[in-house]
Amino acid sequence: MSATVLPGTGVPAQRVNLKLGPGLLQNRDANEAGPSIITTRAGTLNHSANGSRWWVESNSRRYVPAPQESVIGVIVQRVGEGYRVDIGSAHYASLDSLAFEGATKRNKPNLKVGSLVYARVSLAHKDMEPELECFDAQTRKSEGFGELKGGFLVKCSLKMCRDLLDPKHFLLPLLGARFPLEAAVGMNGRVWVSAKEPRQIIAISRCIEAVDPDGGGLDEAGVKALLGTLDV
Amino acid sequence: MRPPSPSIPEKEFLVASLKESLRLDGRLPLETRTPILTFGPELGWVECALGKTRVVAEVEGKMVKPTPERPFEGSSRYTRRYRPWRRASTSPVGRASDEEVTITRMLDKVLRRSDAVDKESLCILAGQRVWHLRLTLHFLSDAGNMLDCACLAGIVALKHFRRPDVEVIGDEVTVHEPTERAPIPLAIHHTPFCFTFAFFPDPSIPPVIDPSQLEQRLSAGLLSVALNAQRELCVVQKLGGVPLDPDDVLKIVSVAVQKAKELNNVVDARLREDWEARKVEVT
Amino acid sequence: MGSRVEILNDGGFRSDGRRQFELRDMTIDLSQQGQADGCAVVTHGLTQVLVSVFGPREAKMRSQTMHDRANISVEVNVAAFSTGERRKRTRGDKRILELAATIKSTFEPVVQTNLYPRSQIDVYVQVLQQDGGLLQACINATTLALVNAGIPLLDFVCAVSGGVHSTSPLLDLTLLEENDIPNVTVAMMPKTGKVTLVTMETRLHVDRFEEIFRLAGDAGKVIHGEMKNAVRSRTSALVAAMGSGPRVGGVDVAADKDGDDRMNEY
Repeated sequence: MSATVLPGTGVPAQRVNLKLGPGLLQNRDANEAGPSIITTRAGTLNHSANGSRWWVESNSRRYVPAPQESVIGVIVQRVGEGYRVDIGSAHYASLDSLAFEGATKRNKPNLKVGSLVYARVSLAHKDMEPELECFDAQTRKSEGFGELKGGFLVKCSLKMCRDLLDPKHFLLPLLGARFPLEAAVGMNGRVWVSAKEPRQIIAISRCIEAVDPDGGGLDEAGVKALLGTLDV
Repeated sequence: MRPPSPSIPEKEFLVASLKESLRLDGRLPLETRTPILTFGPELGWVECALGKTRVVAEVEGKMVKPTPERPFEGSSRYTRRYRPWRRASTSPVGRASDEEVTITRMLDKVLRRSDAVDKESLCILAGQRVWHLRLTLHFLSDAGNMLDCACLAGIVALKHFRRPDVEVIGDEVTVHEPTERAPIPLAIHHTPFCFTFAFFPDPSIPPVIDPSQLEQRLSAGLLSVALNAQRELCVVQKLGGVPLDPDDVLKIVSVAVQKAKELNNVVDARLREDWEARKVEVT
Repeated sequence: MGSRVEILNDGGFRSDGRRQFELRDMTIDLSQQGQADGCAVVTHGLTQVLVSVFGPREAKMRSQTMHDRANISVEVNVAAFSTGERRKRTRGDKRILELAATIKSTFEPVVQTNLYPRSQIDVYVQVLQQDGGLLQACINATTLALVNAGIPLLDFVCAVSGGVHSTSPLLDLTLLEENDIPNVTVAMMPKTGKVTLVTMETRLHVDRFEEIFRLAGDAGKVIHGEMKNAVRSRTSALVAAMGSGPRVGGVDVAADKDGDDRMNEY
């Protein structure tokens, strides 16, 4: 159930407990004629089964931080009690050095400039720098977040990242059936991958690039053919 | 905001895989990306793509009065538009970055100073009328090795361009429309191609031709060689970077000689193909 | 264009009376000038370049500092009176920017920048006279100025230009020769014999290039001898002036002469 929409299209979403996702805007001005909810982006319009959540799915490369999304960032600078991290958004994000599992005033992780971190966006406000954390604030457990060592960073479009996070997507299981691999997918268009052999990592990175809807847009059969030529 | 330098894992992985002679896009160290040349509807409009690096070159010709110092020579002018790519460069707004300066100067050397186009044949009427060529390069996207891509686009555009035929009777100059008489190609002395090699600080890593963006960022020196298929070097440029053994430099030059021959065949074949497609049967 | 002057006459002499492989007279002055930490005036024939080095010091602009090494900034200024035709070159001139970028990238791997994190080394190049071989003079002068400033270098960088007249290679070109024949500039590091810089514009056949390229590498070694003597005599003069300790290696001004002789032999 999806339709292609352009910016400014009216959306027939009506429900008591309505939640609007990215690409939708509610017209505040009641006097104005026209639909009360309009799209602001071009893409496909989706909604949940009961019609309570609506969003527009589109593809882009620039990441706009949103709270609770997991991202991969590069440490660019150390500042006092924390780090400044490049997450591909318009501004650097800040990461407190206490926002790690088991970090105390005495025992803080020591990240070098240029390290990769897998973190969650804890604060994304339009007037403030985004903030990251590498643990769950309630349980204080890392939950897989933290520094990413070794491996390689693949850049792709935002749609590709969302696809990879979908458990039903074919690519990662297909690759995983061939050789063991580790992957961390950030919502900001970055995927960290690791495998035993450099040629395997290269194979993963080329497959991601080939499948990316922004680039090759290959389907499952195409990837299998590509993997056949890669000798892994 | 300065674009951040590549992260430590990226750096380490690139070095580790290059040591095994593996490149991220599956090429061999001395394998170039195959250029994709797309010709526009007009003569002299070419888009050149090396992977995701894309440059558009267009040539325009018009008649002007020559400068008094050189009454027998036509003139040429090259303009470059860096706009979309400049955003990612490190320099403050308004001032050219080092990379931009290098590319600008290299283009100037390869396309203009190597005398690729015969300037005297651009003369129509000595001291009165000459052709003025304007080559504009638009840098559309950068995925590494903009220089080679731009040089290739530029020279192919010049080879692709055809100027209208003119006739001189006394002091009278008549320009024949393309519909009346077939336009004439420019007199090209030779076709220089540019090849860039990247070097890495670790001596066990072989030099890499046609570097991708990441390879270019992490390299410790670039060597650009411009030459034609007749084994004539036009420009050799290695500005600093890691020191190299003289024999290595000469080895690279001989690799470039080989590549230039191959590329020349590719370009000629594409130009011929395009020209065949443009022929219209006159009944 | 065609040459009006004979580049190499039948007797094997060039327009200024030199032989094919003869270098021009090279003088080096390492005396203190103004506030600079290191200074050098290098003359190759009629080409004269003054280089002053400041630093390592705190960078003026914080954005230019690098957290793991020193930043080298190079500024080139060409005096309006340095060429025959009096022309003012602005700072934005592409040729000058390229020259500065070339000098910067040549010295970045040679200077041990990692010893001075978060600092800056400023190199100011003043071109006083131009008669061909500008890049070679700039590089030689910058090496000497950096040595004079006491900045740790891995090796000297010695540059020399060369050209090919029909089939005969020539070394150390004057402006007249540079305008007429294909020319190459090579900068090499004498200890390892490796080259850090090669530039060539104008058409030249691959085989000819190889010949002149190797020749320039050898000529670099001669320039190195000259530069080494200059540094040594400057140092011994300083030591003598301080009146402390023996003269370094017993080398004095006579060494300069020795260098000249060797050059002529070449």
